[in-house]
Amino acid sequence: MADATRIQIPAELEQSMDAAITRYPSDHRRSAALPLLHLWQEHFGFISDEAIFWIAHKLGLEPINILEVVTFYPMFRQHPAGKTHIRVCRTLSCAMAGGLDVMEHLCARLGIRRPNDGDEMHNPIAVSADGNYSVEFVECLASCHTAPVCMVGEKLLEKVNPNSAAELVTNPQSPIGNPKLAWPPNSLEHRLVYKNVGRPGWTTDIDCYLRDGGYEQLKQALTLSRDDIVNKVKNSGLRGRGGAGFSCGLKWSFIKPDEKRPVYLICNADESEPGTFKDRYIIHDDPHQLLEGMLISCYALGAHTAYIYIRGEFPEGAKILERAIEEARQHNFLGKNILGSGFDVEFYIHRGAGAYICGEETGLIESLEGKRGYPRIKPPYFPAVLGLYMCPTIVNNVETLCNIKHIIAMGGAEYARLGRPNNTGTRVLCVSGDVQRPGYFEVEVGAVTMGQLIYEMAGGLHPGRKLKAVIPGGSSAKVLRADERFKLKERKADGSTIEREISIDDIPMDFDSLAAAGSMAGSGGVIVLDDSRDMLWVLNNINKFYAHESCGQCTPCREGSLWMQKITDRMLRGGGVIEDPKQLKTIGDNIAGRTICAFGEACAWPTQSFVQKFPDEFAARAQKPIPPPLPPEYTSEELIEEQSIPIVPMAHDPGWEKAGAKGTI
Amino acid sequence: MPNEPAVPLLNVQIDGVWHQFPKGTRVIEACEQVGIFVPRYCYHKKLSSPGNCRMCLIEMGFPRLGPDRKPELGADGKPIINWMPRPQICCAQDVAEGMAVRTDSPLVKECQRGVLEFLLINHPLDCPICDQAGECPLQEFSVDYGNSQSRFLENKVKKPKAVQLGPRVTLDDERCILCSRCIRFCQEIAHDDVLGFVDRGSHTVLTAHPGRSLDNNYSLNTVDICPVGALTSTDFRFKMRVWFLKETKSICTSCATGCNTVIGTREDVIYRQTPRENDHVNSSWMCDFGRLNYKYLEAPDRLLEPQIRSEGRLVPADWPTAIGQAALQLKQFAGSEIAIVASGRMTNEELWLTTQLANSLGVKRIDIVPRRGKADHILLSKDRNPNTNGARLILGSSSAPGAKLLSIASAVRSGAIKALVILKENAMHLGLSVEELGQMPALIVMNTLPNEATQNATVVLPACGFAEKRGSMVNGKGRLQRLNRAVRPPGNARDDWEILRDLLQATGGGNSLHSIEEVFRRISETVPQFGGLSLSKIGDAGVHILQIEELPPTQPQDQKAIEEAIEIQTRRRAVHEQVHEARARVGASSIEREAAPPR
Repeated sequence: MADATRIQIPAELEQSMDAAITRYPSDHRRSAALPLLHLWQEHFGFISDEAIFWIAHKLGLEPINILEVVTFYPMFRQHPAGKTHIRVCRTLSCAMAGGLDVMEHLCARLGIRRPNDGDEMHNPIAVSADGNYSVEFVECLASCHTAPVCMVGEKLLEKVNPNSAAELVTNPQSPIGNPKLAWPPNSLEHRLVYKNVGRPGWTTDIDCYLRDGGYEQLKQALTLSRDDIVNKVKNSGLRGRGGAGFSCGLKWSFIKPDEKRPVYLICNADESEPGTFKDRYIIHDDPHQLLEGMLISCYALGAHTAYIYIRGEFPEGAKILERAIEEARQHNFLGKNILGSGFDVEFYIHRGAGAYICGEETGLIESLEGKRGYPRIKPPYFPAVLGLYMCPTIVNNVETLCNIKHIIAMGGAEYARLGRPNNTGTRVLCVSGDVQRPGYFEVEVGAVTMGQLIYEMAGGLHPGRKLKAVIPGGSSAKVLRADERFKLKERKADGSTIEREISIDDIPMDFDSLAAAGSMAGSGGVIVLDDSRDMLWVLNNINKFYAHESCGQCTPCREGSLWMQKITDRMLRGGGVIEDPKQLKTIGDNIAGRTICAFGEACAWPTQSFVQKFPDEFAARAQKPIPPPLPPEYTSEELIEEQSIPIVPMAHDPGWEKAGAKGTI
Repeated sequence: MPNEPAVPLLNVQIDGVWHQFPKGTRVIEACEQVGIFVPRYCYHKKLSSPGNCRMCLIEMGFPRLGPDRKPELGADGKPIINWMPRPQICCAQDVAEGMAVRTDSPLVKECQRGVLEFLLINHPLDCPICDQAGECPLQEFSVDYGNSQSRFLENKVKKPKAVQLGPRVTLDDERCILCSRCIRFCQEIAHDDVLGFVDRGSHTVLTAHPGRSLDNNYSLNTVDICPVGALTSTDFRFKMRVWFLKETKSICTSCATGCNTVIGTREDVIYRQTPRENDHVNSSWMCDFGRLNYKYLEAPDRLLEPQIRSEGRLVPADWPTAIGQAALQLKQFAGSEIAIVASGRMTNEELWLTTQLANSLGVKRIDIVPRRGKADHILLSKDRNPNTNGARLILGSSSAPGAKLLSIASAVRSGAIKALVILKENAMHLGLSVEELGQMPALIVMNTLPNEATQNATVVLPACGFAEKRGSMVNGKGRLQRLNRAVRPPGNARDDWEILRDLLQATGGGNSLHSIEEVFRRISETVPQFGGLSLSKIGDAGVHILQIEELPPTQPQDQKAIEEAIEIQTRRRAVHEQVHEARARVGASSIEREAAPPR
């Protein structure tokens, strides 16, 4: 057994670790587990056994507490990677754009033998023989409109051409062809939150923000009472932009005005729903807007400490925010007695480490407490009652918090005039997949239809292609078929409702309409699929994501997500049996609604909807007879009988058939 | 209870019937109280509720409120229930006024079927060789709530097998259903946060950190609460199918806590000891030390025959001869020349008979040997004698237990004491040497295992261990509890109370004591704290008979004598163990002793 007290680490590293620990209350040092692991890995390259002992000792924990955390978060590795570590996105939009080709080419050029994904939890890290390079498939990097993407070290490479990927990696001089942010905005857009994203001459420093009238709303808010601000937010009708669409004002009103315990605000910047990349640009291009929104929120909630939980794959974003916080502190927007108001507030950045589930607010809180990101049961752990450190806590999405600033600027009622009743304000829609100009578009909620979004804003489909399906709100949203007819109730001015039957193109992009259409607005990530896509392949890609990201706490999701993936894996390889589509659906039915958090629905809905809406496609791939029950016990290999059936290799196998690589038929 | 503050009662509808429960009752417990069992894996009433297994999903609803905020009543005059669309777990919620639950609706059954199917897809089908089989909720619920056929055609997830989590616990990760009971037990009860989950999703694995092991004194409780065969007792593993075990309710005698137990036996062999729930004593737990402290009953050197010293050697004798010889030897001496060293490990009945024997012989010097260790502030008491309180009450001594030992020892050395009766103890504990013992004119020893005293005895009376006899004891908190016979004693060993009764009769007393019930009746007549009780009235859960203040106060000088006696005892024990280890090293003894035998 290693003796933690004997392990020597550089003084500088220990200093930065000590500094990280001070960001959390002294009786919650455990919260520093993730920051310390990040610091250790940045310095030493990987988390050794020694590291686990040392960090556990440092935080007064048992080594198992740290080991639990290290193995939960895929960004932490227990073995050295190459000098240059490359993370290639394998999630839907990137895979459709050739992300799997990128991996294949990288492996070939860099001389890396990547093992087949076996029966393991995380995608394996493969290192080149000389130790210079290593590659790893990762889940969505939140840049779906510039697919395929990969991260080389901390640098994001966008629109990577598989053929030149290796050149970009090996030659530091080679120009990085990341596309510039689009400007000017589309004429259908109404930009509030994204007003400055991509604006020529715009920079992330505070002077630029102040020249643009920055922090004026904070000053204004500090003259208002807390109740006034909460009421404005209530009147604005703002609904959360993270995915669930819960009323922000209602959430805030759960905090008692006379609360004795500390109140925490957490900014959820763990953007990781496949198809979503809206928070990325707020963080990277307009950090002060986020800080201002948070400051107003803290004041309104009486929160003196706020944490920004930013996903680990945004290292650049974390640095930008750190710098912005420092600038804001210098201007006394942050710290003690801000702007002479008597209000103290402190912000801290907390980096995640690659776990999608930490975007769920209670999973995020557990993660922020230095534990595995296991969502909590509700009741009793409603964050507003028993949140971070068992104190009242409000968790809001990045975009939601930015909107607070605009609500103060416009007034609640004025803001509520944007969009549609119960679907107020603007929101950023992210379009990726099979469109000519994928990207982000800030529109008034419900002001544009799906058709306008796809054809007028995102440039329409590729020449000669027809729309097959749309996943309208991040990959967990139920898929909509292009030729479906939707019955939507519409409320008229006199209060009466009429029912209209509409096509997919006419669905307004708002919360209620998409819910009425049988799906959801979710996080605003719209993934467009054209008629070249194999829906089984698409579903398999999504299933892989959820099987990988299930935290493993609840039985149905833990076992069901991997089971659904294994069935679609087998079907893709030609081993589908007649019962498979029905079975897939019943597995989904047995997960949805029966888990602690909404991940159950998130992983079940794609399967339920794909199987239900594309029955012929699935039936065609499920032709084999049902094997007799035991004995003999069948293995999936036996079912596939390699010689006798044409094999479509698994998408992630290096050396797959070209036709299958992007899921095209 | 009249003086307790009234807990408000709440109206709750369970499966269509309205009941009342005190505020703060868990829904799952409320259901159980009215005879409706809701299946569960992660929930354990003594631990926190993570709500992760999803087995206890039920339907839940609340009365529909009218515009006046009062419940709307249906045609039957009962509130109309608004049922929640999603099933809810009932292990983490307390009952609330007007709450309604359905535990047997089609949706609930579908949920149970679904969860069981998920639990089984990656679970190995090795019930025929699994220790848990027969007492496995996964097996039982599969029959009660599950599907009869598997739809799973894929390969199962592979995980580590036969992992040694610690010296006493073996883990099969493939069987683990990740309920986290063991992790929570270690954190919340044993205060040794040593277990955890690593990896994620379906690949999650229960483990201890490679540098740490599950070696705390409560580790085997994780085996008890493991709902499947993942955590198994290394001691019990593969030894016996549980359905062959005869289960006898008894108590642990390894310390003054007196944890309630179930002794699992088959054909007079003990296979395991497990804790039995008693919230007045041990909650649902017991320590490993106590649990495994039964092996000595099967020691190869168990005393099996009465022996008497003849021409300097111990020779086997029959019981009447041995008892007659013992009585004869004792009657040679005046009461003042005899001392009796009894034991805090003896039952009340045995101690009472001992006092009768002392009275019959006119013996005044009588005491028990105190036994101290470190308390762990969980269950293990610093008093390692199970019946110190019983001895105090029955011996009726005004001094603290053990206070007379040193004076007895010095009286032996000076020759004032010529006959020594040692019951279930070792004379070495008094600080007497082997030579001094050897010179005793009469040394009557009753015990289960040989020791220095038995080797130098003039009469050896082989007796029973705790699992081989009946009787009662009073634990450290003053609770009277019952021992029950789980196995018959080996060879010619006899029940202790019978030996003492026969000895008493042979010395001229003890008429009409034909049963242990009769002995207890005599105690209840003479010792006020036992008044009105009988062995059967004690019941399985025991009876509180004294507040600790009722015990005779310990004299300061007594305390000093006790400390000295204990110190001598500890020293002797250390020497003894060194000798034992040395013997084991040279192969003289191959017995593996996992816990301390009471030599």
